[in-house]
Amino acid sequence: MGCYQHPWPHGHFVLMRLFVTQTLPRFSTGIPGLDTVFGGGFVEGASYIVQGQPGAGKTILGNQIAFATAAAGKKVLYVTLLAETHDRLFQSLSTLSFFEKDRLGSNIVYVSVFQTLAKEGLGAVVDLLRKETKRQGASLIVFDGLLNARDRAETDLDVKTFVAEVQSQAAFVGCTVLFLTSAGVHDDSPEHTMVDGVLELHDELVGVRTVRRLRARKSRGSAALGGYHQYEISNEGISVFPRIEAALHTPSAIDKPDPKPLRSGIEGFDEITGGGLPQGSITLLIGPSGCGKTSFGLNFLSASSREEPGLHFGFYESPERLLLKASALGLDLKGNVESEEVEILWQPLTENLIDKMAYRLLDAVSARGVKRLFIDSLGGFERAAVHPPRLVEFFAALTNELRAMGVTAVGTWELRDLFASGVAAPGPEISSLLDNLIMMRQVEIRSEYKRVLSVLKIRDQSFQAAPQEVYIDGHGLAIRGQFEQATGISTGLAKPLEA
Amino acid sequence: MKIVVAEDEFLIADLLVVSLEDAGHEVHDAAHGVDALKLIRSLAPDLVITDFMMPLMTGLELAETMKADSVLQGIPIILVSGAQGAIARSRTDLFDLVFDKPYAMDRLLTAVADLGGKRGQP
Repeated sequence: MGCYQHPWPHGHFVLMRLFVTQTLPRFSTGIPGLDTVFGGGFVEGASYIVQGQPGAGKTILGNQIAFATAAAGKKVLYVTLLAETHDRLFQSLSTLSFFEKDRLGSNIVYVSVFQTLAKEGLGAVVDLLRKETKRQGASLIVFDGLLNARDRAETDLDVKTFVAEVQSQAAFVGCTVLFLTSAGVHDDSPEHTMVDGVLELHDELVGVRTVRRLRARKSRGSAALGGYHQYEISNEGISVFPRIEAALHTPSAIDKPDPKPLRSGIEGFDEITGGGLPQGSITLLIGPSGCGKTSFGLNFLSASSREEPGLHFGFYESPERLLLKASALGLDLKGNVESEEVEILWQPLTENLIDKMAYRLLDAVSARGVKRLFIDSLGGFERAAVHPPRLVEFFAALTNELRAMGVTAVGTWELRDLFASGVAAPGPEISSLLDNLIMMRQVEIRSEYKRVLSVLKIRDQSFQAAPQEVYIDGHGLAIRGQFEQATGISTGLAKPLEA
Repeated sequence: MKIVVAEDEFLIADLLVVSLEDAGHEVHDAAHGVDALKLIRSLAPDLVITDFMMPLMTGLELAETMKADSVLQGIPIILVSGAQGAIARSRTDLFDLVFDKPYAMDRLLTAVADLGGKRGQP
């Protein structure tokens, strides 16, 4: 059972490619997703600068790593140069689930070197840290407040010497060091050149929402996933969601296409598509609101079984409303859910992190070996995209992974206009990532509204391209033959062909 | 009274020193246990107030060292601690009093005055 919060297989793959001769010993940061960003964790005995504005979460990150290291049975020295008292720090940390008060003073020791620095200078701090690291047998030093050290330094050289001395004496005993600082550490900063890794935490406003992103700006001795990765701070502390197009650059499993089609669960559909939807394919179902896309998906899921588990990943209806809708259609989705053939995951279309949702989806697929997946709609991911140009790569990684897992997926895409002369599908790059294309819409003809379904593309299977009339009459969604001869069906404003 | 304060955290040390001085005591402070022990040996104070978690020598180690020393073992020790109060309370042989952070300064000052009274000092 895989867990996409930690796509380890890929991380190791990258490592093996780069370090054929040697891999450096690593330790887990204990922060979900962060090890992946750093190509498998921090390097033992290496030193890292963690920089970010106040409020970006540096201290939470430092403490979370400290407690994870302590939980792994190692000793941690947490050194502060801050004016804030440790007591206040413990008070705010006590709201986070990783904080274990019992570890204070035993596995994790918090010491302040503020007075030593003020009275005796940076050299005395270096000396004190060396003695204390040895005394505690520490595997990790978190040094919170490098900015303050810089304030006290006469020149940049002093801080550089300080960082160099602390890290070399720590490396000598195999101890990893994290320097937390709110100062901007530029590429040409002396301390930047000294350390093995630089992790930047950003907390920015994009439109009206706050977006937290981090970046491994330097990672010596390991292939880091470059660029920005979103993270969040919750009661569990920090969770990082590596961009899936970087983390799942290639799928975590080998794609084994199965030429046998999967029955669709929709009456009449398999007859016009050569047996159903190709297994391990991605179908895009486009159409305006009210044309029957969700009903199509509920039919598809109602064909789930223990051997072919189904998953509904929706942004709109709550699970309760979906069950009600299915019941009105004449489908026993409730029975499917109760017998665990179908799981409904609701992801309200509110403020979301796009990669977090992708990992949630992939984790749910992986946990139950899902074979039938309905996503209602792909637009829910689009809404959460802070940087929309990456959507093509995002959907490429997501759909490749789903195919490699043998999932047959149907995703909807809402068309804006109920009736229009033009039909706008998602961008051509996104459409080309999908195997099958089905259009549904309402059609006005002879003063009546009817539903129509057109199969526009099915991968490697022959299909009838003629528009089909859709019936929703108490047995789910059904196709019982071609729509009558008319022109303009695809626009929704049809004119009967006169004989 | 002559008091040695051992506390690595500047804000707490500063507040403690000022408050004790205002109450008429002679106060000397150290930022860790090793420096505190040096001060204690040279000044022979009437009272030691120490933090628990400090670099180089913890408050617990400081107290153990003092109690093992025939010259220093009679000096009363107050421990002021954020998280190790329970550990310290189980060592009644080491500490005369234990305060959990955050504590009310008035209570600490009263306790210091009481200890002074017992020992017949101002």
